[in-house]
Amino acid sequence: MSFFHALRARLRATRQSAADRSLADEIRFHIELETEKNIKLGMSPDEARRRALAHFGGVQRVREEHRDVRPLRWLEDAASDSRFALRALRRTPGLGLAAVVTLALGIGANVAIFSAVNAVVLQPLPFPDPDRLMMITEENPEKHWHLQDAAPANVLDWRAGVPAFQDVTAYSAFLATSTLTGRGDPQPMQVVYAMGNFFSVMGAHAELGRTFTDDETWRPAAVAVLSDRSWRTRFGGDSSIIGKSLTLDGRDYQVVGVMPPTFAFPYDNADMWRSIAWDPQSRGADPFRRAHWVRAVARLKPGVSVESADAQLQSVVARLKRDYPATNKYMGALILPLQTFLVGDTRLPLLLLLTSVAFLLLIACANVGNLLLVQAAGREREAALRLALGAGRGRLVRQALAESLMLSLVGGVVGLLLGWAGTRALVRLQPDGMLRVHEFGIDGAVLGYVLAITVVSGLIFGVAPALWMRRRNPADSLKDGGRGAGQGVRAKRWGEALVVGEVALALLMTAAAGLIVRSFWQIRNVDPGFDSNGVLTAQISLNRSYDTVTKVQAFMSQLEIRARAIPGVTNAALATGIPFMGPAYTSDFIAYGRAANDYGTEIAHRTLTASYFKTMKGRLVSGRMFDETDRVGSAPVVLINEALARSYFRGQNPVGQRMALEKAPTDKSTWYTIIGIVANEHVDALDVAPRIEVFNAASQEPPYSTFVLLRTDGNPANLTASLRGVVHDLDPSLALVDAKPMDDLRVASLARIRFLTTMLLAFALVGLVLAVVGVYGVLSHITRSRTREMGIRVALGAQMSEVRWLVVRRGLGLAVAGLAVGLVVAVFSTRLMTKLLFNVAPNDPLTLIGVSLILVVTSLVAASLPARRAARVDPAIALRAD
Amino acid sequence: MAADQSDVLRGTLDLLILKTLNLEPMHGWGISARIQQFSRGVLDVNQGSLYPALQRLEQRGWIDSEWRTTENNRRAKYYRLTSSGRRAVGSETDNWRRYVGAVELILKSS
Repeated sequence: MSFFHALRARLRATRQSAADRSLADEIRFHIELETEKNIKLGMSPDEARRRALAHFGGVQRVREEHRDVRPLRWLEDAASDSRFALRALRRTPGLGLAAVVTLALGIGANVAIFSAVNAVVLQPLPFPDPDRLMMITEENPEKHWHLQDAAPANVLDWRAGVPAFQDVTAYSAFLATSTLTGRGDPQPMQVVYAMGNFFSVMGAHAELGRTFTDDETWRPAAVAVLSDRSWRTRFGGDSSIIGKSLTLDGRDYQVVGVMPPTFAFPYDNADMWRSIAWDPQSRGADPFRRAHWVRAVARLKPGVSVESADAQLQSVVARLKRDYPATNKYMGALILPLQTFLVGDTRLPLLLLLTSVAFLLLIACANVGNLLLVQAAGREREAALRLALGAGRGRLVRQALAESLMLSLVGGVVGLLLGWAGTRALVRLQPDGMLRVHEFGIDGAVLGYVLAITVVSGLIFGVAPALWMRRRNPADSLKDGGRGAGQGVRAKRWGEALVVGEVALALLMTAAAGLIVRSFWQIRNVDPGFDSNGVLTAQISLNRSYDTVTKVQAFMSQLEIRARAIPGVTNAALATGIPFMGPAYTSDFIAYGRAANDYGTEIAHRTLTASYFKTMKGRLVSGRMFDETDRVGSAPVVLINEALARSYFRGQNPVGQRMALEKAPTDKSTWYTIIGIVANEHVDALDVAPRIEVFNAASQEPPYSTFVLLRTDGNPANLTASLRGVVHDLDPSLALVDAKPMDDLRVASLARIRFLTTMLLAFALVGLVLAVVGVYGVLSHITRSRTREMGIRVALGAQMSEVRWLVVRRGLGLAVAGLAVGLVVAVFSTRLMTKLLFNVAPNDPLTLIGVSLILVVTSLVAASLPARRAARVDPAIALRAD
Repeated sequence: MAADQSDVLRGTLDLLILKTLNLEPMHGWGISARIQQFSRGVLDVNQGSLYPALQRLEQRGWIDSEWRTTENNRRAKYYRLTSSGRRAVGSETDNWRRYVGAVELILKSS
C-alpha cells in the first residue's frame, strides 16, 4: 500500500508541481524585471521589490486562477475529491464496512443472475449468422398442438417449396439410447438422428474428419459423427476411429468425424449424431407424413425477411392441406427464431429472478443512503463551516457524491467477486439444462452491467445526502447546538421515506417467494396416482435378431418372470411408457357405434404387462386386469384410464365397448374391447393434468423396447446389479440402460421449480433482513437524536412503557406504510407470475396476509431494541447532553 | 471580481496580448510593459492576471511558448503567435470594434 502511495504521490508531483514550478519561475522572472525597472526609476531595492509585488497583484490568486485554467483540472479535482472521500471513510470505518457489505450483497446477487440471463437470453447462439436460423414447428388446433415436432415428409416439402430458405434440416426430437456392442460390454450411447445437411445448416465443421453430406440423409448411408466428449471418454481420443465401424443396435455405422467440444446442439449430452437413414422407398408412405418426431431448423437466405419466408411457408402448408387431407387437414406450421424456441420457458423464471435481485439492490441502496444521511446530519457543522469559509456549494455536493461513488465502487468490486462465486454456484446447482449452458461467467456484457449498476447505485444513494446538503442554510447549522426545530427533520423524512420504500420492496420480494413456495407445495402434494418410492426403472431395447413376435414375446415374459424372482423384489412389470419419462405416442380414436365425426384425438398409448398397476400401486377402478387369456392372437383388449372414461364415455359404461385407435377405421382396423378402467396417473409431470390414455396388453402386443419396473421394500438402487445380471443371462448382447430409482425421476421433475423457489426465497430473505435492518437503523437514529426529548418526557413522569410505545409506534407506522404501498403494487403485479403458479391465485390472500404478518412482526422486533434503549434513558444525562 | 465583469475584461486582455505578440515574441513581463507603454499609461494591466490569460490562449492554440535564455543569461518563457493565432487577431479585433460600437450606441441614446 505504501509503495502505491509513493508512486501515486510522485506521479502527482511531477504533473502538478511541474506546472506549478514553471509558473513560479515565470512569476519570479517577472517580479525581478519589475524590481529592476523600479530600481532604475530611483527606488531603493526594498521599495522596488515591494512595489513590484504590489503591482503584480495577489500571487496566490494568480496561481489559483492559473490552476483553474489548466487542462485536466477536472481530473485533479476528482483526484482530490477521492482522496478526501477516502479520508472521510477511514474516519468512520464502521459505516464504510456496513455500506460496502450491504452493497456487495446487492451487486453480487445482480452479477450472478445477470450472467445467467446474459448467457441464456441475450447472447446469440454460437453459430455463424445465428439470427438467420429459424425453428419450424407444426401447429394443429384440432389436437391442441403448439410448437410440436414435425413429420419428415412435411419438412422435405417445406424445404423444396420455400425459396426463402437457404436450406432446411431435421433432427430427432429425442435423444435415442442405442446399445453399442462389439467393444467390450454392451454400452448405451445417446444418439441424435440427423439429416445429411444438418451440420451445414447449423454452420458447424468437424474437428476431425468430416460431417455428413446431403445424400447421407437416405439409406443405405449409415454414418456417424462423434461428440468430442464421447470421443475422448469412450474411444480414448484416438484419431484412428475415423473410418472405423461401430455396431449400434445390431447395425453398423461408419464413424466419419468428431465434432469440436464447443458444438453441443441440439442436446448437451449427445454422444453421437447418426444419419437419420430415411428409406427412399417409404418417402410417399403414410407414416412418413403422419409420425411427428423431428425438429426442423431452417436457415434463411441472407437479406430475406422472416415475413416473406413465412408467407411462402404458409402457401406450402395450404397446398399440403389440400393434397394430403388424411394427415395434414389441420396441420399448420409456425416459424420462429431458433433462439426464442430454445430459451422458451426459462424466460419468465429468469425475469422473475432478475426483478428480485434488482429489488434487493434497491433495498441495499436505500440502506446505504440512510447510513450516509445519518452521517451527513452528523457532519452538519463541518459542512456549515466550510460553506462559511467560502467553499462552493457545488464543491461540497461533488465531494459527497465522490464519497458515495467511492463506496459504491468498492462495493462493486467486492460484489463482482461475490457474483463470480455466485455464477460458479449457479452453474453447479442449476437443474439440468435449465440455463441451457454449462459454462457462463463474467464477460464484457456482464462487466458493463456491473459498472452501470455500481455507478447508478452510487448516484442513487448519494443523491439523498447530497441534495439534503444543498438545502441546508449554514447559519442554522452553526447556531448554538444546531438543535433547532428544523435540525435534521428533512433528513429524517428522507430516511423514513427510504425505509418505507424498502419495506414495500421487501414485501414484494417475499410475496413472490411466498407464492412460488405455495405453488411448489401444491405440486408436491398432488396425488400422482402411483407410488414411486421403492421402484427401480431401467430401459432395454431388443436388437435385430428378435425378428418374430414369438421371440420378442418369449424374451419379454422371461425377463419379467426372472426379474420378479430377484431376491428383494416384491413385484415386477414392463411398460413402454412410465411417468416422468417423456412424451407418449398419441393417436386419434373412436368408439364402436359412434358417429363418424364423434372421434377423439390425442389419446396416449402405452403397452404394459398385467402387473404394472400393482407394481406402481395404481388402482383398477372397474372391470378386470389383463390375464393369461389375453395372448397373441386372442381377442384384442385394452384398458382405459378414468380421464378417458369421464370425458369421452361420459354417462356410459365403457367396459365392454370396443374402440379403434384411429379416427376413421376401415375393415382392416383393429377393434379393441375395453376390459377395465384404471385410475389416472400423472404421467407427464405432477403439475400437468393426466392425459387420456389407453393401455395395450404386453402379452398381446409384445414391445420391442420397454421399461422394466421393479418394486422392493428396500433401496431400489441395490437391485440394479441383479437386474443387469438377469438381462445378461438371457442375452449377453443386450444392454440394460438408465437404471435409476423412479423417485429420482420424480425429484428431477420438480428440479426447476425447486431451483426457482430456493433462489427466490434466498433473495427474499436477504431483502427482508436488509429492510428490517433499515427500519432498525432509522428508528435507532431517531431515538438517539431525540434523547433529550425522551429525557424530558421521563422526567415529566412518563412511564417506560409509554416511551417504548412511542418508538414502537413509529416503527409500526413505517412498516405499515411500506406494507400498504407494497400490497397495492403486489396486487397489480403478481399476475405477471401466473404462468409459474400451480393451483395458487396470484393474489392468494393466505400468502399476502402471511407475508404482511411476517413483515410486521420483524419490524416490531427491529423496533423493540431502540425502544428499549429509549426507555432506559437517564433523564439527568439526557437533559445535560448537548 | 464578479464573474461577468471579468469575462469582458478577460476577452479584452486576450486581444491585447495577441496584438502585442503580433509584433514579436515576448515574455510575460515584456508583454505587460509593452501594453502599458502603447496605451500611454492608461491601461495598467493587473500584471498577475496576465499569466492565466497566457495559459488560456496557449490552450486554445493561438500562442506557443518555449523557455529561452535572455541576454542577461536568465531563463524566461517566451510566447509567440501561431498561425491560427495570427488569424484570430483579425477576427478578434473585428469583434472588439463591433462591441465598442454597440456600447457607444447605447451610451449615445440614453
